[in-house]
Amino acid sequence: MSEERGLFIYGIVPSDVEPTPDASGVGDPPGEVTVVRHGRVAALVSEVPLETALGRPADLTAYQELLDGTAAVAPVLPVRFGTVVTGPDAVADLLDAHGDRFASALDELEGHVQYVVHGRYEESALIQSVLDDNTAAADLADQVRGQPEETTREQRIRLGEIISQAVELRREAENRDLLDTLGPLATSALARPPSNELDAVNAAFLVEADREDDFVDALEEFAEQRRGLIHMRLLGPLAPYDFVSAHQLAG
Amino acid sequence: MTIATTDGQAGGALERSGSSSGLADVVETVLDKGVVIDAQVSVAVVGIQLLEINARVVVASVETYLRFAQAVDRLSITPRDQKGLPDLVEGATGAVTAGKAASGVGKTVGAIGGAVRDAVGELGSDRDRDRPRRRRRDEERTDE
Repeated sequence: MSEERGLFIYGIVPSDVEPTPDASGVGDPPGEVTVVRHGRVAALVSEVPLETALGRPADLTAYQELLDGTAAVAPVLPVRFGTVVTGPDAVADLLDAHGDRFASALDELEGHVQYVVHGRYEESALIQSVLDDNTAAADLADQVRGQPEETTREQRIRLGEIISQAVELRREAENRDLLDTLGPLATSALARPPSNELDAVNAAFLVEADREDDFVDALEEFAEQRRGLIHMRLLGPLAPYDFVSAHQLAG
Repeated sequence: MTIATTDGQAGGALERSGSSSGLADVVETVLDKGVVIDAQVSVAVVGIQLLEINARVVVASVETYLRFAQAVDRLSITPRDQKGLPDLVEGATGAVTAGKAASGVGKTVGAIGGAVRDAVGELGSDRDRDRPRRRRRDEERTDE
């Protein structure tokens, strides 16, 4: 039974998309990426052995690079990582049953890519700024500085809590600013949950191709205004991972 | 984690990377996203084993508070009116980030069993995979 194989589905695309011959997929060795077409839509798939677990870093990277690369040339609906079906017939059935919804979702995404904007506070600049703004925190800082942790544990916890709360408030304000600034330049925008306690902003934007330059310019200005306090990063162009929830087939 | 800047605009305040540039970014970008096709939708869905991957979840805790207090200690060498030293900040931030990842609350992603994998560490390095191309892009244009 070690021969049992399934088809890993990466994403749904218009049926005129075709993988380059050397596009490589998940698995070890990487599977060959092929297309199963049905009417106007198609699925990017590759064979995987069913007895091997997936999710190695190389698998996740292969999945993302295939989808991001596709999104650069055609609309794509990412399918959740780990979706495996029995074979080409099952993919065709799926495309048959949901082809209309997939096609209209792809129409909406045509000409769009996703960007993720991620900003992280520079720790000392952030903390210095909190101490400057908050006398209670500054007093506690004077009490704990240079003192052993064991004898100042209470004050340290209170100080850390004040800083932590201040960071949360600043993060909310920064995210609001970011969405206010860039939202008008995007087709859709949404805040993402912080992934680190020093996160300042974290949001995803669905951006139309001919507005990308304006979007990046505005973001650069936003980053410039926060230089030294927030380390800003722009990830993308990406496949629209954060903007397909409306098209989920749950239930 | 150090991230390569692909667009290399020296002096810019914004760091750009074409796609995600570290495993932590990949995990954050792709996991739990995308169209869900489960057995209710298609009986042909196969339950494949997925490795568990720890996505980081931010939970304020006493540990966090003590870490912030330690960061205050590190500031003490700096006169109050002086802003932080950007060059030193990088190292401090990195240390905190690594600690967080190691102790982060494990959020189980995927399905069943398997080795637990740290969200930070390895990274598939071959970034230049080939990608699908499109035959007739203009035919798919909509007037949205």
